[in-house]
Amino acid sequence: MSRSGANGWLRGTTVRKGGAAASSQRPTQGHVVSTSSTIFGGGVKDPSGRTSEFFSMDDQCPVCKSDRYLNPKLRLLVSSCYHKMCESCIDRLFTLGPAPCPICQTTLRKLAFIPQTFEDLTVEKEVAVRRRMAKEFNKRREDFADSRSYNDYLEEVEDITFNLINDIDVAQTEARIQAYRAENAALIEFNIQREEQTTQALKEQEDYERRVREQRALELRREEDEEREDREKRERELIDKLEFSTQDATKLVAKARAEAQKRSAARSATTFRSTSSLLRSRAAQSTVIPDPVHVPLQDDWDDYSDKFVVQTNYHDPMSELVRKDKEGIMRAGGYRIEEAWERAVRSAVAGLDLQPLVGFGLEIEPDGDVVMTPV
Amino acid sequence: MDAAEKANAERQARWLKEAKIGEGTYAVVYRAREKSTGRRVAIKKIKVGQFKDGLDMSAIREVKYLRELSHPNVIELLDVYSSKTNLNLVLEFLDTDLELIIKDRTLVFLPADIKSWVAMTFRGLEFCHRNFILHRDLKPNNLLVASNGQLKIADFGLARDFADPGYKMTCQVITRWYRPPELLFGARYYSTAVDIWSVGCIFAELMLRIPYLPGESDMDQLKTIFRALGTPTEDDWPGHTKLPDYVPVGQFQKTPLRDLFTAATADCLNLLGKCLLYEPRRRVSAKEALNHSYFFALPNPTHPSKLPKPPSAHSSKPSDDLDGNGDPVSSGPGGKAAGPNKRKRKLSGSGRGGKVDRMVSRKLDFGAVSTGSS
Repeated sequence: MSRSGANGWLRGTTVRKGGAAASSQRPTQGHVVSTSSTIFGGGVKDPSGRTSEFFSMDDQCPVCKSDRYLNPKLRLLVSSCYHKMCESCIDRLFTLGPAPCPICQTTLRKLAFIPQTFEDLTVEKEVAVRRRMAKEFNKRREDFADSRSYNDYLEEVEDITFNLINDIDVAQTEARIQAYRAENAALIEFNIQREEQTTQALKEQEDYERRVREQRALELRREEDEEREDREKRERELIDKLEFSTQDATKLVAKARAEAQKRSAARSATTFRSTSSLLRSRAAQSTVIPDPVHVPLQDDWDDYSDKFVVQTNYHDPMSELVRKDKEGIMRAGGYRIEEAWERAVRSAVAGLDLQPLVGFGLEIEPDGDVVMTPV
Repeated sequence: MDAAEKANAERQARWLKEAKIGEGTYAVVYRAREKSTGRRVAIKKIKVGQFKDGLDMSAIREVKYLRELSHPNVIELLDVYSSKTNLNLVLEFLDTDLELIIKDRTLVFLPADIKSWVAMTFRGLEFCHRNFILHRDLKPNNLLVASNGQLKIADFGLARDFADPGYKMTCQVITRWYRPPELLFGARYYSTAVDIWSVGCIFAELMLRIPYLPGESDMDQLKTIFRALGTPTEDDWPGHTKLPDYVPVGQFQKTPLRDLFTAATADCLNLLGKCLLYEPRRRVSAKEALNHSYFFALPNPTHPSKLPKPPSAHSSKPSDDLDGNGDPVSSGPGGKAAGPNKRKRKLSGSGRGGKVDRMVSRKLDFGAVSTGSS
């Protein structure tokens, strides 16, 4: 069996975007190339090409049990109930209209399958939920009178998000979202517009910066070209002179060299000082700023060393083997169990005497609630 | 626009990139300014695009540890944001680095200057160690020098926190000339002493003005070390013959440090010797080093503002940069801001040896996904 033959099925050139096949060329824009005739809606729309579809050699379709060995072009998509299945199963099950999910029996449609971005489907779900939430719950700090009410709002948003992610009281939660939407329709719309404006402004800014950069590079190139032309011209002149002039050739060359040197010196304009003058200037300096006496540590970072004494021995079953160190390699390598102990002890006493947070933008309300002002 | 994307855009808007000042395989460094204050910063743009599995490990390490550390002798990480497919670290702007200073033959070092640099190095390192972080790539080129003369430890791309008892660490760290013998012998359990050896090498290099132990290969490095400091005996370094990659490299006699460092004081050589002890557990710690008599003896360490520096070829006026002639190839002082000549970092073997099977995290960039889908 030849090597290339063995690689053939491994390569699976169709589905992958971020995989080995795509390493040499830039991944094609956003959408993943599929072999199936199915058109999948949703999923990752990513013009920047930063995200890639999740891909693993161990992929197996939970429905038909087909895996990457049997079908190198296997591509698993995720349903709206967050179950994976392969493209051919989706084609088979849902071409004739909505049908129940073979795993959880939720009614699914063919178009509701999305490519997988994250290895962990709970993350996939959380991202989707948060994205949905962010679209409507887009109030800002400016929309609230005080930080208290803003914090309450943020907490409510987080509550709803948590419920949606973990499927708690789904109907009730959806009702809450509906109520919020009805109540704040105008503000949501306004904030979306505001958002678009900032995005637009940011894009314009980026465009502008890119143009400036290009301009700068162009300028630099032009300067270089000019300099080179200048140099070539002078060289040509020198050769012409050498050819036709009656003057001494060595003199002409020397003159040209001197001129060139002068020009380059003018360009770089570097200053050189002799060693002796440097030493003199340093000596003069030393009388102005005195050299302070050595102070071992100059920071005030408290290492709590007054709070503990590291013992020479601890009952520490975790490090039993290390301390015995039968082969002596940990000792020879310089590992110090004392350092680990000191770390443990210091971490234990650190912060023991810290005051509860007061000040620093925190206010304690009469009922004992701590309210944090966003910085 | 997602909240994350918005926050990112806000952060990005705080900084104004000016000119490219250096490029390596792993990052591009730009000179930049904080818009509100005009403060000069360096932006290290990490090329993420080529690492298709996600972020480069060293970038993660750098962010992870620099976020924790705030000390006059450790480079300050001001901000992190992403632009298109790149990760941008906003770092303090620093004029030059110790390697350039050592190489600049027009500069004269006084013994007090060396004392001052070494003290600042130890101070920064002690702070890392006090925060349980091993730097693992100390070399003159990673010790940057600010305009006020303060030396700052930079490049935490290979740093890690102390290992828990029994966890392996990789021995493929630290640039070869500054790598301690235990790592060359493949030790997988080591400690803060590895950084101390590097400081010892830098200390010696400051006095010699050339690298102290320049080995040509890992094998040759051991030979170079033993030629300088003598082949260790079992007394010098108990157990070293049992280290995983131990090979006998020949017998060499120890030459006294005094023979090479003819102008150094006894205190100075005593401290240097303690940094370059074979047995890692007996090597001096950063804190002990700072309390060594060398630093208290006269002359006092030079005040940072008076330390020698290469003449600045670089204008600090923003108006000069507008014509775009900030020379992109100059490795001029500014170019060192975050080590542009960086080789591709070693990624072999993560910090925890075989325990980690995926060394990169998946991209979790919500901003990349458009808002259009459900």
